[in-house]
Amino acid sequence: MSAISVEGLTKAYGDVVATDALTFDVEEGEVFGYLGPNGAGKTTTIRLLLGFQSPSAGRARVLGADVSDPAALRDAKRRLGYLPGDPAFDGSITGAEFLDYQGALKGESRREELLDLFRPPLDRKIREYSTGNRQMLGIVQAFMHDPDLVVMDEPTSGLDPVKQARFHEFVRDESDRGVTVFLSSHALGEVQRVCDRVGIIRDGRLVALEAVADLRGRGGKRVDLHVDGDVERDALTGVDGVSDVSLFDGGAQFTYTGEYDALLDLLAAYDVADLTIEDPPLEDVFLRFYGEREEP
Amino acid sequence: MFEITRHEGRARLRGAVLLTVGFLFIAGLYVALFPSIEQSGVDFTQYLDSLPEGFRAAFDVGRINTIEGFLAVELYQFIWTLLFGVYVAYSAGGLVAEDVETGRIALVLATPVSRTRYLLEKFAALLVPVVVANAIVPVGVVAGVALVGESISTVDVVGVHLLSVPYLLACGAIGLLISVWADRASIAQRGGIVAVFLLFLVETVASAADYDWLGVLSPTRYYSPADVLVDGTYDVAGALFLLAGTVLLLVASAAYFERRDIP
Repeated sequence: MSAISVEGLTKAYGDVVATDALTFDVEEGEVFGYLGPNGAGKTTTIRLLLGFQSPSAGRARVLGADVSDPAALRDAKRRLGYLPGDPAFDGSITGAEFLDYQGALKGESRREELLDLFRPPLDRKIREYSTGNRQMLGIVQAFMHDPDLVVMDEPTSGLDPVKQARFHEFVRDESDRGVTVFLSSHALGEVQRVCDRVGIIRDGRLVALEAVADLRGRGGKRVDLHVDGDVERDALTGVDGVSDVSLFDGGAQFTYTGEYDALLDLLAAYDVADLTIEDPPLEDVFLRFYGEREEP
Repeated sequence: MFEITRHEGRARLRGAVLLTVGFLFIAGLYVALFPSIEQSGVDFTQYLDSLPEGFRAAFDVGRINTIEGFLAVELYQFIWTLLFGVYVAYSAGGLVAEDVETGRIALVLATPVSRTRYLLEKFAALLVPVVVANAIVPVGVVAGVALVGESISTVDVVGVHLLSVPYLLACGAIGLLISVWADRASIAQRGGIVAVFLLFLVETVASAADYDWLGVLSPTRYYSPADVLVDGTYDVAGALFLLAGTVLLLVASAAYFERRDIP
């Protein structure tokens, strides 16, 4: 049975269609990445899955429960963890008091174990928390009742790179324990690192659904190279995996989809003054691999 | 059960204590003031005749020259019925709308809790200020009255506070109905204030202007502190009507809240 099953799920606010006939399944035990730029409809999908909003058309099942059946969905929520994007807390209570409250509502069998991994300052009032600490408190509450499925909206926003890496490792470990994870993200790199499969949403529509292994070869990196001297166009275009080259005084910018060793060999020929290798903007990925922009 | 009420109630305890201290202070002022007003020899009858009819009706000022009548008007009619009623409606206005506006509701509704249970438990937490104030203020009033050498029926003071509970709950239920409908806390809170104040006025004006039926839906009509304190008359039917109205408003709030989209 699928942990999440979505069929023709549509949500419209008046004339604005937030999600348009989405259809996909999330299998038990997999880490599913829900990738899309801001405003694509990721959060709306999650709100529909949690029953906060009713679909305009179509249907969805979460852990077997129809999201339009409040009683069934409520039952399923015993086995569901949820981390909202930018989670909101009552700032006047301490982190410990918040976890006590959440624990009373849904259970807290793994609370201490999680607090060994993520350590928000529990004795302080939440209003004094940094963004990263709020996020860690949110992660602890999402997993502390040992759920079978965890839905997370942009879970690593606000975490520094070290904590992001620790969180990604944690998600992989949870997946190994059999937990199903659904996480939304606007960062291709994050999804590539932790997910088994990816659904890409854009303007409310699902434009791709594929295994991360397939996506990895296609995404490429954006390379921004500054050197002493100039870069010859021929030196770049002759290399496998280099595309979209644009030259400027003292450097070049290009997309690279090949092996890192080959890229390093290429760069060794230059006096590198500055180098940035990063995920390309999602819009570029769409353009490259899913055709032209579909709509203005 | 009642985890939400316990959590929310704890958060309201401090406010409830401060509110009660405020009420005790005001009650103390009135009680302390009474002997000097009585002694000053002000001709109350003449003073009352000079007041507009509507005002006299609104505050039952006809019996203001006894300690019972004085407290009924100044403390219970004005402070308790109007101000406390408005406060409860204001608080109730924020109950759901504040959680929705801040997004805090998401982490509660993601747990196996129905929206109706969430709503009712939040409402139940409003009992904290209502119960704390109604438990402590009557003790202060009876003690204060004895201290200034007057006497008042303890039973009637307890009665006037007891009967105020259904009235205050009705005010809260009005605020809650606005709260489930509004997306912004400030709008729901102000809406609660305006609704209770308007209903108070409607009842006042209606009874004064021969449009008696107009005030039939105003909670104020079913709670009369002066009847209890001065005449010893308890409007039990009125209290039951207020409780029934509260239940009706809660049912309506829950029915709407179960269906609405939460942004």
